Amino acid sequence: MDQAATTTAYGFLTTVESPTHGLFGGYLLVDPAGRPLEFHCTAPVKVSRAQQILYGATLHGHLHGRQIGATLLAAASLQPRVVLTDVEAMLSVRAHTTLPVALVTAADAGTGSASGAAGVTGPGGDEAASETLRTAIEPLVAAVDLREPFERIRAAIDEAQRH
Amino acid sequence: MTVSRTTDHLHSWTAADLALPPVAVALALDPRLPVPATLRLPIDTAVPAVVRLPILEAAPSVTSFSFGPPAAPALPPRPKPTPSAPAHAAATRGSPPAAPKRTRVVPPRDVVKLSERFFFLLQPDLETLLETSRLEFPRQPFPFQFDGMAFLLPRHGAVLADEMGLGKSMQAISALRLLVRSGRARRVLVVCPKGLVSNWARELADWAPELVVATIEGEQGRRRWQWSLADVPVKLANYEVVVRDRELVADLGLEFDLVVLDEAQRIKNRSSQTSQAVRTLRRSRSWALTGTPVENRAEDLVSLFEFVAPGHLHDRMSPKALGAAAADHVLRRTKDKVLTDMPPRLNRDERIELSPEQRETYRLAEEEGVLRLSALGNEATIQNVFELVLRLKQICNFDTATGASAKLECLEAELEEVQASGRKALVFSQWVETLGRLEKRLTRFGALAYHGGMSTVARDEAIRRFRHEKRHSVLLLSYGAGAVGLNLQFSQYVFLFDRWWNPAVEDQAINRAHRIGAAGAVTVTRYLSAGTIEERIDEVLRTKRDLSDTILSQAEAPASSGLTADDLFALFKLAPPRRAAA
Repeated sequence: MDQAATTTAYGFLTTVESPTHGLFGGYLLVDPAGRPLEFHCTAPVKVSRAQQILYGATLHGHLHGRQIGATLLAAASLQPRVVLTDVEAMLSVRAHTTLPVALVTAADAGTGSASGAAGVTGPGGDEAASETLRTAIEPLVAAVDLREPFERIRAAIDEAQRH
Repeated sequence: MTVSRTTDHLHSWTAADLALPPVAVALALDPRLPVPATLRLPIDTAVPAVVRLPILEAAPSVTSFSFGPPAAPALPPRPKPTPSAPAHAAATRGSPPAAPKRTRVVPPRDVVKLSERFFFLLQPDLETLLETSRLEFPRQPFPFQFDGMAFLLPRHGAVLADEMGLGKSMQAISALRLLVRSGRARRVLVVCPKGLVSNWARELADWAPELVVATIEGEQGRRRWQWSLADVPVKLANYEVVVRDRELVADLGLEFDLVVLDEAQRIKNRSSQTSQAVRTLRRSRSWALTGTPVENRAEDLVSLFEFVAPGHLHDRMSPKALGAAAADHVLRRTKDKVLTDMPPRLNRDERIELSPEQRETYRLAEEEGVLRLSALGNEATIQNVFELVLRLKQICNFDTATGASAKLECLEAELEEVQASGRKALVFSQWVETLGRLEKRLTRFGALAYHGGMSTVARDEAIRRFRHEKRHSVLLLSYGAGAVGLNLQFSQYVFLFDRWWNPAVEDQAINRAHRIGAAGAVTVTRYLSAGTIEERIDEVLRTKRDLSDTILSQAEAPASSGLTADDLFALFKLAPPRRAAA
């Protein structure tokens, strides 16, 4: 039995903007205790002025969802129960994956279900989808503040830039 | 139609192409056939160059790291603990933080591989790690103790140099416990002074109850068997056993994932057997615990690093360079920095006039001794001076002829008050003989002795009785046996009946009482006989007291803080002998 089939994992997907290098993507997979299982990060993606003009309002969604998000999800060997992101534009990755992707916000900022100190907004509008999401993240919420792993990703990308 | 493209964007056409009227030519005048005229017309409208704006198509390259499943599986979360008494608090003093603090494990500078740095950076905070590993603590650690664990965890070479009483052993035990639980350490050796083995066994049982510990002791055959035990994650041995079993350990091919040295100032002399023995232990991690990483000289730290990180420091480095090079390996906190709610330590230097009998005996002994040293001239040795100092100090305690003691009279008066208030007092001396005299004279205070001349069992029993039986108000300790490792924070008074040579050792003694969990202010009384050698030694030590702090703060420092040969001779206003170089 391979590891992907036996390990319960949760994905944390985010981006880090560097003024000099561009946009880095980071994807951390953790176990239900919040301990790291896999980490993937992209080379920085720098967008030209012309590309900004051409893509217009679709730029962020394309950049986060297709370019960075989908690439990172494809790089992972583990299939998480849910992918959490703290960047709204990253929700565009839903078009490129079958995994449930939810947005983590500060508890008082979101309208979604409160989970620990964070709010989580799931993909579906119906109650059943919300319940599925709640059940999926329940073990993780008991162990970690859902916003905290994003800090780890940022620290790691910051370290990678210095390395 | 013929179109020819020229490089300069000029195009050629025939006249017919342009539908130009034929040119009428009179045949009579020109029999040749008319030649069509060719016109070259510059065209300004160049073919537009195509600009291809790169679409964001190529996926960025991805770097991946895999950490594998943890050795110990995560457990279901438990209910959040209610704050209890802080670590090492017998009686609750101070309080753990109300808001949960998050302590991150930061990789040290000498971890250079990015994958290893990521391993630490991507871990949850220490509190979450402990929580999800279901590691129970008998008492809630202080935030600075979590910092200490986070400091030790990622380090292969570390010196935890907290001031005495801040819980170095519990921090080390908790960190090694996490290493064992995560599968990163399977064989751990803890080495401590002989007198502290039972203390360590107790601390390990308190702070890591699930870890099986084997104490290496007994005759050689038994020790061989104990060393060989494969399924025991933690072995505990005293320094003497490690020296004695040096070859045995090598023969057995033992390798340790972690070796912890307690009271690591024991290895400050690099050429000593103890230092050599611990340095030959095969190990991947080396942690040293000491409250006095620099006891006398800057070289003490270099010696310590020969175990912790061999070759990292060397003797030729300036104190400032030493401090800078050692900084990432050393963590030192003092009580006044981390325990702002620690009860105060009140210091009293009590100058005592010798009794008339003592004064006369002292005068004669000093005059006679100085005369003898003068007569020896260049043949005088440090040993000669040292003997005289010891003799004079003993007279300051008790008159050798009559047994008179001004210090004792003073001490008795103070102990009356200690006993009347139901408090406990520790009395330190460098001589077992002095402790014996005191024990006889202080029976009404239930005085108990604790020194190296007693068996471990007898010493443990003395501590037990002093701790639990109200009638024992006084514990008499030698600096050698009682200055380290004992938790006597239920004592409110400390008396230094005579002074040790090194202020760091005195501090260790005082911190038996003034430590985490102290139930109130600790009053420290240092007896000094006026106009004697004791006052002169005190002056010398006072000027050198700050060496350790100076080095650890990376500032320039004097080369030594102990009593040098020059210092010893100067106590009697004698010039040190000048000898030809050997």
